[in-house]
Amino acid sequence: MLPEEEEEEGEEEGRKWRRRTAFSINDNVDLLAEILGRLDGRSLAVAGCVCRLWSAVGCRDSVWEAVCHRHAAGGSGATRSVVAALGGYRRLYRLCIGPALDRLAGSDGAHLSLSLSLSLSLFSIDCYERLGGRQQQQQSASLLFLCKPVDVS
Amino acid sequence: MSRSDLGTDPYDSVEDDRWIASASASRGEIDSLLQGAGYRVCSTDLRHVAIGLEQLESAMVGDQCVASSAEAIHYNPSDLTAWVDSMLSELAPDPHLPRHPHITATANTWADPTQQRPSLHGLENHHQHRSVPAVSLQSMDEEEDAAIRLVHLLVSCADYVQRGDSEMAGSLLGQTRLALARVNTGFGIGKVAGYFVDALCRRLYPPPLSAAGGGGSAANPEILHHHFYEACPYVKFAHFTANQAILEAFQGHDRVHVVDFNLMHGLQWPALIQALALRPGGPPLLRLTGVGPPSPDGRDALREVGLRLAELARSVQVRFAFRGVAATRLEHVRPWMFQVAPGEAVAVNTVLQLHRLLGDRASPEGGDAAAAEPIDTVLAWIVGLKPKIVTVVEQEADHNKPSFLDRFTEALFYYSTMFDSLEGGRAGGSHRGGHHHHHHQQQQQTVAEAYLQREMCNIVCCEGAARVERHEPLARWRDRLGRAGLRAVHLGSNAFKQASMLLTLFSGEGYCVEEADGCLTLGWHGRPLISASAWRADDDAALPCDHQTLLVLQDHSSSVTSGSNNVVDGDDHHLRQHSVVRNNDTGSGSSCSRV
Repeated sequence: MLPEEEEEEGEEEGRKWRRRTAFSINDNVDLLAEILGRLDGRSLAVAGCVCRLWSAVGCRDSVWEAVCHRHAAGGSGATRSVVAALGGYRRLYRLCIGPALDRLAGSDGAHLSLSLSLSLSLFSIDCYERLGGRQQQQQSASLLFLCKPVDVS
Repeated sequence: MSRSDLGTDPYDSVEDDRWIASASASRGEIDSLLQGAGYRVCSTDLRHVAIGLEQLESAMVGDQCVASSAEAIHYNPSDLTAWVDSMLSELAPDPHLPRHPHITATANTWADPTQQRPSLHGLENHHQHRSVPAVSLQSMDEEEDAAIRLVHLLVSCADYVQRGDSEMAGSLLGQTRLALARVNTGFGIGKVAGYFVDALCRRLYPPPLSAAGGGGSAANPEILHHHFYEACPYVKFAHFTANQAILEAFQGHDRVHVVDFNLMHGLQWPALIQALALRPGGPPLLRLTGVGPPSPDGRDALREVGLRLAELARSVQVRFAFRGVAATRLEHVRPWMFQVAPGEAVAVNTVLQLHRLLGDRASPEGGDAAAAEPIDTVLAWIVGLKPKIVTVVEQEADHNKPSFLDRFTEALFYYSTMFDSLEGGRAGGSHRGGHHHHHHQQQQQTVAEAYLQREMCNIVCCEGAARVERHEPLARWRDRLGRAGLRAVHLGSNAFKQASMLLTLFSGEGYCVEEADGCLTLGWHGRPLISASAWRADDDAALPCDHQTLLVLQDHSSSVTSGSNNVVDGDDHHLRQHSVVRNNDTGSGSSCSRV
């Protein structure tokens, strides 16, 4: 063999060895969830595009719960069940907290902190509107006409 | 389709006030939005009409001597297509008229000449700047002068109407329409003036098939209200502020009863249900009684709303019961219909409703009339319910003055500010989303304007019992509610913070929340437009409730039905026990409620 090929083979062996004993985040799903839960909303959504595993973890409501609580102050023990009933934390972030944060960042209201109770109120109105949406217009505007995402839920 | 497809606003017309009946628009589908505004145009003709209107405007604005053509024959503009064609053929026989692909509007401001109001310079950034063709270039001063002249004409016309001189009023209306042509009717004073001109016209020459309430449009009031809800923050502000007050008043009570004087779609209540679900100590048993007009088409709209709310309450595990009370007029409602149980904490919620109970005010010197108005009866039984909180939200304007001219002028400035806020406020959100979103907002704004137009029409065209939009300012409400035995409850800083946050999230700059003596007002550029306040029954002044009195009041007038729409969710047992108690006490199966 040529000396370059020999070198390459050696490197190849090294890489395989490293892969066998190396740590992969994908093997530790809970740890992955813990890390993803510390991201901001947009980064978390982007992270969900990495691979199927990350997408599945990124969809977990517990991950979004951590994100929501970090950005909106408030909440009590009973909050989780109420949010779950109204549609889940991921939806709460997508519809209420995310757009609100964007709006606050854009305007000069950056000093104001978003309260969870206000977000939940808005969320409950959205849930209510969806309840009655069967016979009424399907494109009834969501309460926050800040952005109109395509509804993939 | 949306209004932006048209070149200019359909109010841009040179027109006398008499409608000459003409053949109605025939083939093709009639555009429904325009139909709501009173115009019959086929959807297929819209593009043609838009181009025609542009040409018409350039022809008329550029040509000064068109202004006073007294002997021209005028066609019914509600058939827009034919009208445009006829006007064009009269005014612009020249086929080489310069074609302007863009609308000939200049971004301008309207400075209010008669009152100290800041000019709408903030709007300049939000208007789409369009190309200005050389032919119809108008200077800023001309535009302002035209606007001032327009306002003067409108007010003089109203003056003649008040005096009963319909001839002079009619001719002034004609001049007003001409003046309207010189002002941009896409926004600002031009837009609102167009509606007022129509309303004055309707008052002078009532159309043969007069729509109820003088509103004109046959659209469902709930849908109009819903669009108004989405398009601007006034109703949201009302709901959130009232809910905050109710929540605070309900602290420590485990059986609560909310009475809503105008249920509509019940949009106020999901937030309260959610907040009660999360309150420390757990949710109470919530009963909601919603008052609303009876449904025309046999559906029980109140019950449907109740079912939806019950479903929401069930999902967040709040024990909930709903009752609907259908009444055509608020004064027909009686307290026994609510069936308030003993030991319940009662909240009465009236958002933009109490003013409907007012009557004509006497003379300005006499102050409030001694004659009993429905408001006094209703306030008396509200106090009799011994509510923990009464939330009152009203328009901040005096549209109940005895003189028509005063009302008209006040309404003109109030609604022009409202319209400005609709226009300017929505621009705050329009930089996000795409073209589709923008269209949607435009559509929503148009329907919201239709909602406001109904109110305006009622103020201008109706009198007596038909006039229900009798807005009065907060100061007068304070007196009235105080005399009825209610004491003001300060709304607190939580409500103020919440309102400020709400505005930051939803609307463009220009809205302002202010606190006035414990009440909150929301306004546009310093002019308060809506006020929210909270009250409680004064313990000494509360009337002792009388069984006898209530039995006497129990009339079975056909206009009211107390639906037994108890959608009981959860604690059935609890409520059944209540009725057992009631029956034992009264000895008979009467539905008299102990208060």
